[in-house]
Amino acid sequence: MKLEMGYINIHDIQFSNESKVENGVLYVDQDAVKKLVLEDENIKSVTLDIAHPGESVRITPVKDVIEPRVKVEGPGGIFPGVIAKVDTVGSGKTYALKGMAVVTAGKIVGFQEGIIDMSGPGADYTPFSKLHNLVMVCEPVEGLAQHDYERAVRFAGFKVAVYLGELARNLTPDETKVFETYGVKEGIEKFPNLPRVAYVHMLQSQGLLHDTYVYGVDAKRTLTTILNPTEVMDGAIVSGNCVSACDKNTTYHHLNNPVVHDLFEQHGKTLNYVCNIITNENVYLADKQRSSDWSAKLCRLLDLDGVIVSQEGFGNPDTDLIMNTKKIEAVGVKTTIITDEYAGQDGKSQSLADADPAADAVVTGGNANMVIHLPKMDKVIGMLDYVDVIAGGHEGSLKEDGTIEAELQVITGATNEMGFNKLSAR
Amino acid sequence: MVKEIERAGIPVVHMCTVTPISMTVGANRIVPTIAIPHPLGNPALTHEEEKVLRRKLVETALQALTTEVEDQTIFEPKL
Repeated sequence: MKLEMGYINIHDIQFSNESKVENGVLYVDQDAVKKLVLEDENIKSVTLDIAHPGESVRITPVKDVIEPRVKVEGPGGIFPGVIAKVDTVGSGKTYALKGMAVVTAGKIVGFQEGIIDMSGPGADYTPFSKLHNLVMVCEPVEGLAQHDYERAVRFAGFKVAVYLGELARNLTPDETKVFETYGVKEGIEKFPNLPRVAYVHMLQSQGLLHDTYVYGVDAKRTLTTILNPTEVMDGAIVSGNCVSACDKNTTYHHLNNPVVHDLFEQHGKTLNYVCNIITNENVYLADKQRSSDWSAKLCRLLDLDGVIVSQEGFGNPDTDLIMNTKKIEAVGVKTTIITDEYAGQDGKSQSLADADPAADAVVTGGNANMVIHLPKMDKVIGMLDYVDVIAGGHEGSLKEDGTIEAELQVITGATNEMGFNKLSAR
Repeated sequence: MVKEIERAGIPVVHMCTVTPISMTVGANRIVPTIAIPHPLGNPALTHEEEKVLRRKLVETALQALTTEVEDQTIFEPKL
């Protein structure tokens, strides 16, 4: 399957009376966007704001981050089974607005949304401080159940991202890149001497608003299966997650998955990138056993030499991670895992809830319990009501002077387990 | 907690859903439960059915508590 990605660089966002992209500036018609969001009768009101890199701005509680894209050629549309009709995506041509994102915010679960600081020490911990962000704070109608509120904000974000992506349909990209993987036999013939490598992508699917969707299907109701890597670039996987901010995979992460991009970088040179294997992280032990059995089964069936496994979240998903690793190694396929750590504020506790000698190649996104201090920001987009109770915060986290003392956990994307962030021990 | 209480000489049954973690951390008597968000109940059942379920889980745990073990042992409840 072959996909050409066209990148359109955005270096500014401005409100205007017409939505358009011109000379790298995204102009947004607020009324048009609001009208689109308010089509959903569950949303009472929406406030739009723009946050630029380097500004003294704090965005919270952040739910999702989404990159606008548009399908220019080939079957299907962006976010198949969610916004576009179900059709296999990942081929043809897609354009993306780079350097910007749609950020959705609202007090959905409160303690399970995150913080994005656009400047200061907090900004260093999140990749989203480097983007021009169009922030949508959505308020629910009175009495709306939490899961309906989550769904409404999730869809509002996707709709606006698709609306903005559509503005790029007739533009000429600043840069294009082609991504292609092959059928099993074709790949072996093409690269007879290269190791066959796949990406085992674990999706958060614990339920109770910890959910990921694949072509619109709730991942907790799926069995481990295979995707062409380019399908994710068209939004085949989206986030519906309200979990600890530091290691949740936002939709932006899924669209720009660094494991996929880095494997493509080596594809045909040092390895043969075969496919992605997606598997879930459910709350029943039988599900964990079945899903990890299937991961190993598919690895063997595809005659892989090695896989990279990435996790989402922490705690009991550590067991899914270890089960996948043990079983895949047991069928003779080498593994490297990407995770993060909850090693206590002093870093001296056991990092993962589960462990096994087979997991002997580990990349960490960092210690989510590390305490950080964030200065007061001049402007808050959203509300600070939840800083004390956010996962990683504590009573008194929000000081009277507006500064915050909390664990790194509170920052969106800080210890991402796809390796999207830049935390390092050096 | 399981290990510290046992260290003080009191036998412990660890009732939990993710038994592999219980094995990794070294519990000796383990009873598998229903699901992580609701280990000792099942919202899909009626109240009457749930009471039967709970009783079986607790009885399995009590049985485990009074059984001598040589090694880490999982006691499957007969549900």
